[in-house]
Amino acid sequence: MSPRLSPRTARRRAFAVVAGLSTAALVLTACSGEEGGGGDGSDDPIVVGISLPLTGDFSEPGKGVQRGYEAWAQFINEDGGLLGRQVELKILDDQSNADRVVQDYEALIAQDEVDLVFGPFSTRLVVPSARVAEEYGMLFVEPAGAANEVFEQGFENLFYAAPAVADDHYNYLAEHILAMPEDERPQTVAVAAMDDPFAQGTAYGLRDKLADGGLEIVVDEVYPPNTTDFSSIAAKIDDSDADMVIGGTQYQDAVNLIVSLQQLDYQPQLAAFSTAPTNPEFASAIGAKTEGILSPTGYTENAGWPSNVDFVERYTALHGNAPGEDEANAFTTGQVVAAAVEAVGCAEQGDCQQELVDWLRTNEVETVVGPLSWDETGKPQGAHLIQQYVDGAIQIVLPEDAMEAELVHPKPEW
Amino acid sequence: MRNASDTRLPATTPAGSEEGGTTRSARWSRGRVARVAALVVCAVLVLSFPSMAPNAYILSAGIVVASYACTATAWNFMGGFTGYVSLGHAAFFGLGAYGTGILIRDLGLPSFVAWLLAGVLVLLVTIPLGIAALRVRGASFVIVSISFVLILLLVFQAWGSFTGGSDGLVVPRPFPDLLRPEHHRVFFYLFTALLAVMLLAWWLIDRSRFGTGLKAVREDEDKAQALGVPTRNYKLVAYVVSATFTALAGGMYALWFGDLDPIFQFSIMLGSYMVLMALFGGVRHLYGPLLGAVVVGVGLEYFKLEFGDTQLHLVATALLLGLVVLFMPDGIIPAAKALAKRFGPQDSSIREISAAELQERNLTASGTPSSTPSGTTTGRTVADDEGEDER
Amino acid sequence: MTGTLLFQSLVLGVLLGGLYALLAAGLTLYFGVMRVVMIAHSAFLILAAYLAWFFHQQTGMDPLLSLVITVPLFFLVGVGMQRLLITRLRPATLTMMSVLLTFAVALFIEGMIGFVWSGTQRRIQLPYSGASIEFFGARIAVVKLVAFALAALALAGLYLLMKHSRFGQALRATIQHREAAQLVGIKTDRVAGFGFGLGLATAAIGGTALSLDATIYPSLHWHWIGPLMAIIVVGGLGSIPGAAIAAMVLGIGQSLLQVPLGTTWAQTIFYVALFATLMLRPQGFFGGRLAQRF
Repeated sequence: MSPRLSPRTARRRAFAVVAGLSTAALVLTACSGEEGGGGDGSDDPIVVGISLPLTGDFSEPGKGVQRGYEAWAQFINEDGGLLGRQVELKILDDQSNADRVVQDYEALIAQDEVDLVFGPFSTRLVVPSARVAEEYGMLFVEPAGAANEVFEQGFENLFYAAPAVADDHYNYLAEHILAMPEDERPQTVAVAAMDDPFAQGTAYGLRDKLADGGLEIVVDEVYPPNTTDFSSIAAKIDDSDADMVIGGTQYQDAVNLIVSLQQLDYQPQLAAFSTAPTNPEFASAIGAKTEGILSPTGYTENAGWPSNVDFVERYTALHGNAPGEDEANAFTTGQVVAAAVEAVGCAEQGDCQQELVDWLRTNEVETVVGPLSWDETGKPQGAHLIQQYVDGAIQIVLPEDAMEAELVHPKPEW
Repeated sequence: MRNASDTRLPATTPAGSEEGGTTRSARWSRGRVARVAALVVCAVLVLSFPSMAPNAYILSAGIVVASYACTATAWNFMGGFTGYVSLGHAAFFGLGAYGTGILIRDLGLPSFVAWLLAGVLVLLVTIPLGIAALRVRGASFVIVSISFVLILLLVFQAWGSFTGGSDGLVVPRPFPDLLRPEHHRVFFYLFTALLAVMLLAWWLIDRSRFGTGLKAVREDEDKAQALGVPTRNYKLVAYVVSATFTALAGGMYALWFGDLDPIFQFSIMLGSYMVLMALFGGVRHLYGPLLGAVVVGVGLEYFKLEFGDTQLHLVATALLLGLVVLFMPDGIIPAAKALAKRFGPQDSSIREISAAELQERNLTASGTPSSTPSGTTTGRTVADDEGEDER
Repeated sequence: MTGTLLFQSLVLGVLLGGLYALLAAGLTLYFGVMRVVMIAHSAFLILAAYLAWFFHQQTGMDPLLSLVITVPLFFLVGVGMQRLLITRLRPATLTMMSVLLTFAVALFIEGMIGFVWSGTQRRIQLPYSGASIEFFGARIAVVKLVAFALAALALAGLYLLMKHSRFGQALRATIQHREAAQLVGIKTDRVAGFGFGLGLATAAIGGTALSLDATIYPSLHWHWIGPLMAIIVVGGLGSIPGAAIAAMVLGIGQSLLQVPLGTTWAQTIFYVALFATLMLRPQGFFGGRLAQRF
């Protein structure tokens, strides 16, 4: 089993590109036929094609997704495979680049003839790659395209393998804040979001709900991806002295923004940042001053779903630490596709893909993030949990039926 | 696609054809026959590529190379004729792409009407831009050209309500009913047609008085001006033509690819690929950029697949660019020709010698050591007075 | 916008302008001695920041100590670059081709950084990363202050070297009139090599200063080269004081504009200034007759 991009297949494909182009140019005989990436013999492995951002802007979460996919393939092979066939992953690196991601999926589907595809990471890459999959009629389950925009493109083969879309990530927190007594509740809110559909989706979902509830939005900043100097945004937030700060963030920008806020000695009552706080590196990156930081998460390692207990145990045995949200979302993607494949009984290109789509449209799948089902646009029908750093550990604080610790308010100084 | 036959193509016609045709002898007609034959063979090869491509992926890689060929050829209208190196032509590529997308989105125009209109808009926008940029020469011009890309990147990212910002812009398909491989095939032919138009335009300009004026700018701008060539207007026209063709290539790319993102449309890398491809093939030659695009484009695709999960393709691009700049700044066509004539690559054929080379040679002949750094200095002595360094 | 915010932005602008000034001075040096626009300058800046990060990562010592290694190293690389690469170009096409050559060097460095340390964003976490001091109502992060002090010291050192040493005189003579300098017995080639090395040494210092308080990733250098090039054109190609003044003015301008316009639009000030300069005074505000020709 070689989950990583095996050099041999890459070379073969690269060779085919050069051969294909220069062959045509020189009128040598056409490229010697396909070496058959997929094949439908019952003993061949099921090949799953994936493109992930292993370098570039999204490389941190991209690698998390890769670990999740690899764990899924390894566990399923240990358990006897899918439809009795072994599973093989073919992972390409798209360098966080939309042009690349399209070329990658094109190569995986048209040239390598993989049997199934899984989605890449981040909304910006999901939309172009979903279109390729759609036009080849492939089922496209993706672990990370949570922004609303993804579901407005009219994709018929797309399913998002997580409990809720970006705008709904903070729903429990918004309800909780609006339900607070008037004198405890924060009055002013500062928002800073990366110019990225997912990051903005989370932050603006919460912002709009709080604004509707009568809170005042005193700062509303957008910064381009790749911004590294947050001192002026931090200065504005500090100057507004908002009671609560919301960061629509990915990873590094959250770290930089928080450090800049610390440098200005700005102390909010509540601080909510998306994505970054669920990353294992987060605490050390901001100097362990994490206490009280809130974040939405689609996943908790302590969740009691049957498959999750097994997943956490085996993953921890494999990597020495528990899986994070990215790993879990990738694993969920694998579970969703596997459920459809087992139910329909096929895994290959062609009509089979439509059967898989039809099955998922009408069924519910048990996953490590709980049971998932989708509406006709591929939107999942659930909500995210809210986590907080309490006494140095990540705890689920909302909703109440999943609560592991009491929400700390106001947050301690950082 | 074309390559091997192109390399030979200019070689079959004696050097005279390049600089205005002083040798209109009997060989002229033989050269013409050979050229037409080579052209037909090339055209047939290119047109049959879609049916020979083993799968849709190879076809799409072919389209990428064709779009590189279009942009590199478009770049060469400025870079090749006038010698002004613009590292920022990606700005026009992006403007063409976004212009097409936004016109379709906001005005509901048919795809190809929007495409043409976007080309016209870029043409209009380029006139004031060109006037500003062409106030300076040499290094300052390069700086200005790079800053076009950087400023447009910022604007297109920041002005989200109009451009879609970092969320990107989705350009509707012109042929929604076509299956993907069919769609690729159509666009391969469209790109090829665009390329053919550009090559024809280059050929016509090359033959015209206008083209001669531009080449005079390339060789010695001050002298050209002194001789009465309206250098500023000539440069401006070349710049506008170059930008418009680049924009058309960008618009075509937008219609084909469908997803635009400021980071990838206004990318310095794209601009540098254009320069690398044109230089690699040879900026003084009609098919130079095309040849460069085929070689470099195929190489890039190969590298990205072979070493996909590393940054090695950047390193490879860098090394190639460095080698071209250091050892064969006139491209592989003259280098190959020179090699065939058993001359050193620095010493190209006598007829095609540029003012720069001539000067260097004279300096060498007059006993000044030119291979050592002091040669640089001496070169500059003259240069400072004659305004010779601007190129 | 309150007075404190304005003052805070002003302070941030001065701190940023200091770093810009140092880096622009380096760029100006290359241009002065060789008529070369060094696109790779900011790539070396990022390389120095990576080396500082790596040094900190490996030894756990303060990244500032990495200067002991990087400054001499970069100086030698600079001399080597001038000797081995730049002088190989044909003199007649030097200005244009050197841009492409240094562009290739920049790509090479970016690619190698990505290859060796991956594209992951890096940041040095220091015990005093979050610390700050109060300054007339504004808060100044200690790391930013250290970075500014470093830049100011380096710039002052450069000034003293240029004004009061024999080498500095030779360097200035070479910049002003190369052949005249040669006539009075200055070995302009050697001086040009040292000038190049000196320019690269400023990148080493700037990169180390940058690494204290910034996230770094391989392609970051593109975000620096645009503003820096705008600065040297506005200042007038070849004029070090011009570059320093333009850097300060534009750095402060950027910082102040961020308050009403936001970060993205504020960056456009560099390009607006660049185009305004081209239209009104193409030789730059402090440049001589040289500038327009290159």
